[in-house]
Amino acid sequence: MTRLTDLLPAQAKRLAELECPDFTTRPWVTGPALAQRRVAIVSSAGLVVRGENPFRGRDPDYRVIPGSTKPADLLMSHVSINYDRTGFQEDWNVVFPLDRLNELAADGAIGSVAQTHYSFMGATDPVTMETNARELAGRLKQDRVDAVILSPV
Amino acid sequence: MSALGHYLEEEGIATVAISLIRPQTENTKPPRALWVPFELGRPFGPPNDRAFQKRVILAALRLLERTDGPVIIEDFADDDPRGQPDPAWHPPQMQAATRDGSADVSAARIEAEIGSLRGAHDRWVAQHGRTTVGLSGLSMAECGQTVVAWLRGEVPSSPREGVSTILMLRFAVDDLKAYYLEAASAGAARPSSRQLGDWFWNNTAVGTAIIALRAFGLASDDERAKAILGNFMVPGARVAMLG
Repeated sequence: MTRLTDLLPAQAKRLAELECPDFTTRPWVTGPALAQRRVAIVSSAGLVVRGENPFRGRDPDYRVIPGSTKPADLLMSHVSINYDRTGFQEDWNVVFPLDRLNELAADGAIGSVAQTHYSFMGATDPVTMETNARELAGRLKQDRVDAVILSPV
Repeated sequence: MSALGHYLEEEGIATVAISLIRPQTENTKPPRALWVPFELGRPFGPPNDRAFQKRVILAALRLLERTDGPVIIEDFADDDPRGQPDPAWHPPQMQAATRDGSADVSAARIEAEIGSLRGAHDRWVAQHGRTTVGLSGLSMAECGQTVVAWLRGEVPSSPREGVSTILMLRFAVDDLKAYYLEAASAGAARPSSRQLGDWFWNNTAVGTAIIALRAFGLASDDERAKAILGNFMVPGARVAMLG
């Protein structure tokens, strides 16, 4: 298995010390109780709906994953090979927990689940994703999303 | 991931990130994050464990109700029970392993292997209702032939417009890995990723051929081939084990 401590020391150091944008603001958005929230998944696993263009290297854009997507139609095109994919192969909820969110909505633990979810490719320098991320916020608002769960690999 | 949270939050959307690499999250200082102790690639923990996954998601989502941020970084206390090896798992029986990853040795053995795993892969698909094979759009036989052609020093033309030959090779290798690891996981046993990886890299001709592809790339004068074959074929931790 691969945990940070199982990687080569040089790899682990590189990941742990990966240069992060030096943000000058500390944004903080509040909202209603969880039972009233509408939740979307934004993944960085390079997820793509079967038949659409996989990520090519470090693309800064994102792919759209409709909430009606079936597990048989979701593929992973992340460029990195230094993480486990067998969990996702066995159960997409390991990376893309749409079934769990739908259950939480049915239980009333969350208000509802977004109509559409999204994936970036996490090996991309986040600074190059900024424009796409800000544009994505507009799409999420149109879908009345007020909570995003960010899922890495 | 945490940087995405920062941008979305600045645009007015509340976010919570799952963190697999705590030091990265500490550096980025996202509004809210839940660090989980699971292996990379499993942000919500064990496959097919609905209750456990739900606990992880709820622990993350509940951070949205906290009022003491920013920045909140919490730890999820429980480890993934599926991280342990399953002694009941038996890998598919393959022809005796060889370290010879030459194109001539690989071609026939890979073709035979792909065929021999077909039944197990069909069982996997029946069991799970899906396969994650499909990035390349090639058949498994074609994926194997693509690897062998590269080992021969031939660069097969990409059948897909807009997909370079080397990108097609990467997708073919990803599809082969998915096919082999799904086939090896068919049945009731629950192998850990380490068990599956040990089998794939030590006991299959395609694993040996992919290791040879990496060496081929590192010896290449083509900087792109060197970078892609060197970094995106064999996991770094596996390279270290190979010595």
